[in-house]
Amino acid sequence: MTQEKEKDKKEKRILKINWQAMAVPLLAIFTALVLGALIIAFTDETVYAAFRESGFFGGIGRAVEVIRIAYGALFIGAFGDPKLLWEAIVHGDGEAFTQAIYPFTETLRVTTPYIFAGLAVALGFQGGLFNIGAEGQYFIAGLATVFVGYSLKGVPAIIHLPLALLAGIAGGAFWGAIPGYLKAKTGAHEVINTIMMNYIAFRFAEFMLDVGGPMARPDSFRPVSPEIEPSAYLPQFFPSNSAIRFNWGFFLALAAAAFVGWLLYKTTLGYEIRTVGQNPHAARYAGISVPKTIILTMAISGGLAGLAGATDILGVLHFMPNAFASGYGFDAIALALLGKSNPVGVVLASLLFGALRAGARYMQGIAHIPLDITSILQGVIIVFIAAPEIIQTLYRLKQKIEGEEGVVFTRGWGQM
Amino acid sequence: MPPVLELKGITKRFPGVLANDHIDLTLNEGEVLALLGENGAGKSTLMNILYGLYTPDEGEVYIRGKKVEIEGPSDAIAQGIGMVHQHFMLIPVLTVTENVMLGMESVKYGLFLDQAKAAKRVAELSHKYSLDVDPDALVGDLPVGIQQRVEIIKLLYRSADILILDEPTAVLTPQEVEGLFEVIRSLVAQGKSIIFISHKLKEVLEISDRIVVLRRGKVVGETRPQESDERKLAAMMVGREVILQVPKGPAHPGEKVLEVEDLYVLNEQEQIAVDGISFSVRAGEIVGVAGVQGNGQTELVEALTGLRPIVEGTIRVAGQEVTNATPRTITEAGTAHIPEDRQRDGLVLSYPIADNLILNTYYLPPVAKGMVMQREVIFSIAERLVKEYDVRTPSILTPAGNLSGGNQQKVIVARELSRPVKLIIASQPTRGLDVGSIEYIHSQLVKKRDEGVAVFVVSAELDEIMSLADRIIVMFEGKIMDIVPAEKATKEELGLLMAGVHPTDAAAEAEKEAVA
Amino acid sequence: MRKHFLAFVSLLILVSMVLTACGGKATEAPATEAPTQESGYRHIKVGMVTDMGGIDDKSFNATSWKGVERAIQELGIEGSYLESQQQTDYATNITQYINQKVDLIITVGFLLADDTAAAAKEHPDINFAIVDFAYDPPIDNVRGLTFSIDQAGFLAGYVAAAATKTGKVATFGGINIPPVAAFMVGFESGVNYYNEKHGTSVEVLGWNTAENNGVFVGNFESTDDGRRTAEEFMSEGADVIMPVAGPVGLGSAEAVKQHGDAWIIGVDTDWTVSASEYKDIILTSVLKNMDVAVFDTIKMVASPDFEGFHGETYVGTLENGGVGIAPVAAGAVSDDVLKELEDVKAGIISGEIDTGWSSYLASLSN
Repeated sequence: MTQEKEKDKKEKRILKINWQAMAVPLLAIFTALVLGALIIAFTDETVYAAFRESGFFGGIGRAVEVIRIAYGALFIGAFGDPKLLWEAIVHGDGEAFTQAIYPFTETLRVTTPYIFAGLAVALGFQGGLFNIGAEGQYFIAGLATVFVGYSLKGVPAIIHLPLALLAGIAGGAFWGAIPGYLKAKTGAHEVINTIMMNYIAFRFAEFMLDVGGPMARPDSFRPVSPEIEPSAYLPQFFPSNSAIRFNWGFFLALAAAAFVGWLLYKTTLGYEIRTVGQNPHAARYAGISVPKTIILTMAISGGLAGLAGATDILGVLHFMPNAFASGYGFDAIALALLGKSNPVGVVLASLLFGALRAGARYMQGIAHIPLDITSILQGVIIVFIAAPEIIQTLYRLKQKIEGEEGVVFTRGWGQM
Repeated sequence: MPPVLELKGITKRFPGVLANDHIDLTLNEGEVLALLGENGAGKSTLMNILYGLYTPDEGEVYIRGKKVEIEGPSDAIAQGIGMVHQHFMLIPVLTVTENVMLGMESVKYGLFLDQAKAAKRVAELSHKYSLDVDPDALVGDLPVGIQQRVEIIKLLYRSADILILDEPTAVLTPQEVEGLFEVIRSLVAQGKSIIFISHKLKEVLEISDRIVVLRRGKVVGETRPQESDERKLAAMMVGREVILQVPKGPAHPGEKVLEVEDLYVLNEQEQIAVDGISFSVRAGEIVGVAGVQGNGQTELVEALTGLRPIVEGTIRVAGQEVTNATPRTITEAGTAHIPEDRQRDGLVLSYPIADNLILNTYYLPPVAKGMVMQREVIFSIAERLVKEYDVRTPSILTPAGNLSGGNQQKVIVARELSRPVKLIIASQPTRGLDVGSIEYIHSQLVKKRDEGVAVFVVSAELDEIMSLADRIIVMFEGKIMDIVPAEKATKEELGLLMAGVHPTDAAAEAEKEAVA
Repeated sequence: MRKHFLAFVSLLILVSMVLTACGGKATEAPATEAPTQESGYRHIKVGMVTDMGGIDDKSFNATSWKGVERAIQELGIEGSYLESQQQTDYATNITQYINQKVDLIITVGFLLADDTAAAAKEHPDINFAIVDFAYDPPIDNVRGLTFSIDQAGFLAGYVAAAATKTGKVATFGGINIPPVAAFMVGFESGVNYYNEKHGTSVEVLGWNTAENNGVFVGNFESTDDGRRTAEEFMSEGADVIMPVAGPVGLGSAEAVKQHGDAWIIGVDTDWTVSASEYKDIILTSVLKNMDVAVFDTIKMVASPDFEGFHGETYVGTLENGGVGIAPVAAGAVSDDVLKELEDVKAGIISGEIDTGWSSYLASLSN
């Protein structure tokens, strides 16, 4: 009985810590949305016009209206219009239903690569490594995936798809392991090396895909790869509606998050990774091979980033263009920070960013708010997360949550 | 005349802890007041209140009879209170003067830093209080003892007349401690008042005018050095009689467990740190290494435990050659290692105690089955060890970093000694610990010896080595000066050996001089 | 302080919410709507999807949008754009316009070719146009907007030959692909035509049509490559340089501005406008008038008797104004040359003057 109680207490404690840890991110998001609303109102000419013509309250009214339209569009763009959804359900109209949930499927589709890339960076953080190279790993994985995707012909999907995914993982892992190896063997800092590896990846992709390049589409004047075989496609969820690009990649991403959580907190390898991340001296003392662990961490991290590229190609694009992605690698850092390097946190953060991105697209179309507003929102959220004191003072939160297991994001320059 | 400083009924609560419980304290002008107490007794909390880092829940502070509210360090400085922390707040790449000026820059023409003026003032202060600090030296080039004086100058520069020194001797060599005491005497001679925080009984007896002892947040006694001695102070601190000398019977050495032959090891600067030494440690005996810090002891231990490459020579543990083996191989050969820097090497401070207790067994059954770690097993091991080794912690999930130094060391000792080991290598096992913890750790090491384990202890405290070891190795400049049986060793003899002089030579020398 | 500020803001929001609720009338968000105009054109909806460069790229996207704006003004249509940040955004943006049931979707640049084609095949009832690309075979409801840029390059070559004092002019490209080579082929032919006319022997560095070979930096990004290449050309004595590699050319312009007595010829857009910091050293620019092409397409769709593109491709020429050159820098060439330029232009339009492009293309397929 007492044991039961003990266990109960432990679990409660864990829950409590999680809740407290959530307070700052949630308030950061809320504050960012408030700031975003102010920016939207302050940059809208009609608001100024209303102030001039209808006085103070007219201006405020217009401002509220503008914000309502913008955020309404943001919401509908991210989750769909509840009214349409309700009508579709009431009428049992299948087509209208897929139409109505389309925005939400887009959110999940955007979320997919975010989860993979965010997990990649988060795993690196846990191991004390700053993997800025997710973008490059994404590129190399894309090349590997698309090559397997188009060059193998007549292979059944049950073999072709896993092979293509594995190629992506292997490509990303290889690209991540190189800076890992350099760090482990020479102490060269991974921040610099992953950035450099990004450039090499971009140029390598350019070489492979440029017109006349080894992987370029024959007879095309565009720098793109051939289309992959349908046998390598990640299955779509709504094949009837080609606009909906939501595919099994999302569940692969959730599985990856579960895997990373299991790896980090339940296995000896995870213990090694976290120990090296928290205190490499103690890791060495404990008999853990620090170089081996660094290389492995970077390889797994790269493999995860690679899956972002692989699922984008196998599930969405079905070919690889030069100038493939923009900014996943850097958004991933934000995601890992926002998710506190915790797999569940990363999934939630990715959903938020995915919703913001998908919603902003619609907001741009409906309310004519530039896409950059999402970058501002994301940036503001990250600033608040990185400097929690701002939020803590703003909302009079209690300082410093005791017993919280902090994650060392990185150690200083040049340190092992 | 009212006292310089008076605290009345200071109380501070932290969640679950009453850190300060109605503490009354007075400090008179020109006095050295020692604040003595075990780690966690509430000394630091009290001083942080005085320095404005914490606000007390109850109680009042009077300075020269006037009630004051101290809301932050700047208030404290304005009231003439200055504090030297255990960890210095200096910028190594700046000069002494620049460090002293920082935050209180002298300015000329309203814009330019007036370094010359500041340097002059630093030189004056240095001279006045016999601090002997060069204003133009780079702080990073200075030894720790001098850096501490720079901290003191910083306070004097800000016209502090109440100086709080928080464990100032913890980082100093014995010679530097002597130097610090001279500085303290010079300061009080010129009217400054000093609060000296320590848990080292000898030092407190030597330097203070009055001693206040804290235990569990309360003042439990006040005394004067001339009325007290180490035993009495220790009893006051711990609340019971403390055995300062570990009781131990004669050793019964068995076969050789650790064998070192002709060992050469380099230090970070690629210079020879361990210079061709050979020795052995037998089962059932404690071999201690005495020596002034920096004579190759650290490198020797690191080489023995696989953390530092060996240039030449061989090491065997229980007959198995482990020269240049990995730390894991050496551990698996039956070695326990209590590292010199417990926070850097011995613990992951952010980890819960439970995770720290499996730091070198995490991959072995029953802690792990294959790759999967067994949470329940880990918890039950942790619960057992925490009880067995008397680790004082609210929970096995408390991060190791939240424990006091003594409890942190107990976690390491619990982890290392609970394994079936043949050899224990302990480096500075009691550095920075309070009397109670020291007593505990010493008794554990002796217990292991009596169980037939070979114990190898390195310590900078000669007293510790003399009371613990059966045989004493004295190291000087990477070489073994001599190996002496503990019962025959005298402090004087060891002191000479530590300085690199053979007593017989010294005697001959003295004779020669007498003849001449 | 902050607390008070927050409280104040929330109060304001609350009050104004109540007020608007009382006021009742919610106003519609203003789209870029046209002044109503009796133009005889249908009031169609046009959506433009940019590539990753964004609407302010001072290049393809910006110029194409200019065409839409002109159509809003002159034809009274309704137009808007959606920016893309990633490759995967293209399809999303196209889908959004399809859901909004616009009449014409204009996509900018070859990067959108796959997504445009897929959407066009899926929705044969919607009209598409894609800037600077044409499908082979053509898609029935897509109008490819292409440009005979060799014609404009020819004029630029003629001007360059007239402007040079050293007798050497130069050009270089990003990658040797037909859309880039077209500038250079026309340029070389223009120089040769000037030589023929005036008995001069101006030399072209960096491109040789007969050998299909020249100087290519290998990318469309590195301004540093542009700077270095321009410096090499200048050290070889060239005093007119035409970089055909997008922003790479800005590096060349910088090199010329810093330490060169030379001219730069801009490409795609008028660089005295889009890169105005270099306007003193821009001889002229070879223009791809995407706005003309876009406007032409919108006009076609908006006209009452429009019945579909039928896979037709728009080709911008000197004749229809789809390509051209920007005004030549004052004093760079004599007025006589400017007058000759009009004749040359007429000659190209009538077909009397050959830009060398068709024979070059023929040589490629051999």
